[in-house]
Amino acid sequence: MWTSVFVSGIVLGSFYTLISLGFALIFGATHTFNLAHGELLVLAGYVAYWLWKAFGLSLLFTFPAAVVVALLLCFVLQRLFSLLSEPRELNSIVVSFGIAILLQNGMLFCFSGDYRLIRVPVLNQGFHLHQIYLSYGQVALLALSLLVIALLYLLMRHTYVGKALRATIQDREAASLAGINVSGMGVVAFGIGAVLIGLAGPLYGCIHYLYPTAGPQATLLAITITIFAGIGRLRGLILGGWVLGLAESATVFLWGASWRELVSTIILLTVLALRPHGILGRDER
Amino acid sequence: MPFLRLEVLSKKFGDFWALREIDFSINEGEIVGLVGPNGAGKTTLFNLITGRYRPSRGKVLFRDQEITYCKPHEIRKLGISRTFQSCRPFAKMTTLENVIAGRVFSGKFRLFPQRIDIDTAEELLELVGIAHKAQTPAGDLTLSEQRRLDLARALATQPRLLLLDEVAAGFSPVAVKQAVELVRRVQQKGVTLLIIDHFLTLSLRVSDRLFALDHGEKVAEGTPQEVMRNREVIRAYLGMRHEEP
Amino acid sequence: MRGTKTTKRRHQELRLADSILLLGFVFLLLLPVLARDSDYVLQVFTHAVLLATLALAWNILGVSGSISLGHAAFFGVGAYGSALLSLNFGFSPWLTVPLGGLVATVVATLMGLICLRLRGAYFALATLAFVEIPKVITDNWDGLTKGSLGLVGLPGFTALRLGRYSVDFGASPAAVYYLVLCSALLLASLVALIFRSNLGLALQAIREEEVAAEAVGVQVQRYRLLSLLVSGFFTGVVGGCYAHLIRYIEPGLVYGIHFSAVPMIFAICGGRFTILGPALAALILYPVDQFIFHPLLPAGHQFLYGAVIIVAVLFMPSGFWGHLRKGQFALLKTRSVE
Ligand SMILES: Nc1ncnc2c1ncn2[C@@H]1O[C@H](COP(=O)(O)OP(=O)(O)OP(=O)(O)O)[C@@H](O)[C@H]1O
Ligand SMILES: [Mg+2]
Repeated sequence: MWTSVFVSGIVLGSFYTLISLGFALIFGATHTFNLAHGELLVLAGYVAYWLWKAFGLSLLFTFPAAVVVALLLCFVLQRLFSLLSEPRELNSIVVSFGIAILLQNGMLFCFSGDYRLIRVPVLNQGFHLHQIYLSYGQVALLALSLLVIALLYLLMRHTYVGKALRATIQDREAASLAGINVSGMGVVAFGIGAVLIGLAGPLYGCIHYLYPTAGPQATLLAITITIFAGIGRLRGLILGGWVLGLAESATVFLWGASWRELVSTIILLTVLALRPHGILGRDER
Repeated sequence: MPFLRLEVLSKKFGDFWALREIDFSINEGEIVGLVGPNGAGKTTLFNLITGRYRPSRGKVLFRDQEITYCKPHEIRKLGISRTFQSCRPFAKMTTLENVIAGRVFSGKFRLFPQRIDIDTAEELLELVGIAHKAQTPAGDLTLSEQRRLDLARALATQPRLLLLDEVAAGFSPVAVKQAVELVRRVQQKGVTLLIIDHFLTLSLRVSDRLFALDHGEKVAEGTPQEVMRNREVIRAYLGMRHEEP
Repeated sequence: MRGTKTTKRRHQELRLADSILLLGFVFLLLLPVLARDSDYVLQVFTHAVLLATLALAWNILGVSGSISLGHAAFFGVGAYGSALLSLNFGFSPWLTVPLGGLVATVVATLMGLICLRLRGAYFALATLAFVEIPKVITDNWDGLTKGSLGLVGLPGFTALRLGRYSVDFGASPAAVYYLVLCSALLLASLVALIFRSNLGLALQAIREEEVAAEAVGVQVQRYRLLSLLVSGFFTGVVGGCYAHLIRYIEPGLVYGIHFSAVPMIFAICGGRFTILGPALAALILYPVDQFIFHPLLPAGHQFLYGAVIIVAVLFMPSGFWGHLRKGQFALLKTRSVE
């Protein structure tokens, strides 16, 4: 029994990492918190749902549209964030909170408050592997999450933009001394973040019900994993996702699904109490 | 009996010694200048005395009482006050409120500022010469006015020992002259002063003694004349001048 | 003198602000007469005044510079505390509402222990997450709280008798309105006292420059905790009032992000550094939302709140009332320097 708790925890955790990547990247490069992250994700999910439902588009073809929508919105967000005054971290929270409210109401207007799910029947079938039941959905989720993470890793390691972005995330001052355009890298981070959100959104719509106020829960996950990881650690993000996924599936197994929401809160508050800048990250200053 | 005594006081940031084994004392009623080039550790020394940082080693004794690990407000209660190199006014509050804030948290807690607090605050603004700005938000003052305000706020706490961090930096010659007079008047009220003065504009004129720091270590101590003749001090300052373009 | 022209404009602005205030106050006093024919209008304004009280309570913490995104925790605990006490023990709401406030204060202590070590953005995020704790516990403690079903049939405020006079809150919406208005005015006076006291001075000093505040002898953490407790208490009281006015609560409603967001939005739009700004913003924005945007856009009318907070943070950080009333903070207008 515990093995299947473990397996579903890892699957869930990998997916959590996937949905946190955009948030973490934007935070790392620009030191702003995007509290509308969850709303963007849910909106990307809605876009996919709408294309799938209204035009019968295969799920695969909905990704580009979701990415485009996320890119547009992140561009707007980036413009707004560039207007922030000090203290930028705190003001970014308040502004993006406002954007989250805008998006929630926009989604309520466009898609109503009903619960929606992108149903892909094949994902619910499954197979046994050494007595552990795995659904195709779980396999696909794990594979896609790891694939996107791996692609991001390659991008960050082996391209000029990725290296510059990494340098910016690790030390903005040093990066700017080395001739990197730090504010330009901020825009790039929003762009890549948007792509990641656009990729994660449709997947989110396959395994979670979509409704206009689903966003904050996802935002909280992203905050928890990002702060757990500290600045600039892809490994930390994966570890954070897994810790959260395992803790959640163990909690659900032991005490029931209704306690699940408390898990990320407790992890976040613990990490913040221990170290306000993330447990794998360095202290600032 | 020394008024303030530092014993092998040291402070490490990461693996960088900002201050190393400082032994030093001040007598009651003195004006002592603390000099040294940028990054010598002067401000850090203030932060250790006022309890903002905890020392890595050593002791701080004030009137024979150990205050090494006391909290800032406890140290403030014992009678040590400071100004800040970067002023740190309460920007959205008026100048007068800034000074009142300096006064009302020193003694017994009262719910409202008393008439006497306000009067004293106004007198202090008069003393430092910015009484006409009493109702201006402190953030709108010029830098030199902010320095005066910072001084008034520190004086409002009725200190026995006042630590001044670069009060006269950027002052015009006239303003420096006023500052000299001001410091003398403060001293006459029975306040002991320790003055950080990078460019020696103030301390050469008012100090009884100078204490020179470089790279976190004591390089000289004595009368202003002695210290200024000290080769290491000259080297530290000349070295600094060479680095400047 | 160079200053005269600006001084003159300042005075005009202040006079404008004072007139707005006076007109608004008279309007609020006369509202039950003006809106004799419409229970709906009165109901909207009752809720607006309640939200104004909420924003005032939020700002007791807000003035110290901390932005909380977790006040729904106090609101919900206050509502549940008061509702359960009145349902299980049959106490009158007049007693249970303050008790609910005390329960909220206990929760505020817990929040203080966990979150007050943090500053700025991290404090805000921690409070945002903190709400889940009372919410999930309420949701799961079926035996006591009936879980997600919520509590129905809460008693309303009972009639008050003063000698020969008696006010029946059950029968008269106007009486309820005046009750809420009175508590808002009481809290506003208390906030004004706090702002002008040494406590307010300390909180403002902490907000402006924590290091300097510490250096002049302010015990920073103690004052921050105190402001959080007072803020939590009054938020809990408002939560209790809400429960007995609506007479139905459920976890998703009273712990919802709405009751964290709305006081923050009103406080920042109105002016975090002013006494009345938060309340005024509530009194303007909520009716605008209900009378103008709700009929136009039944689904999604609350986008207004998102829009105003973005505009406020980016373009008017001191809020509209703060903008109109620069210098309201001056503790003492005596001996002005002319
Ligand atoms: N909080 C801190 N963390 C890390 N290093 C610090 C910290 N505060 C000071 N330092 C370092 O300690 C050294 C001494 O700093 P300090 O501010 O005491 O110098 P100073 O003598 O006041 O110089 P200045 O004339 O520039 O004010 C500097 O190298 C500074 O970088
Ligand atoms: Mg210094």
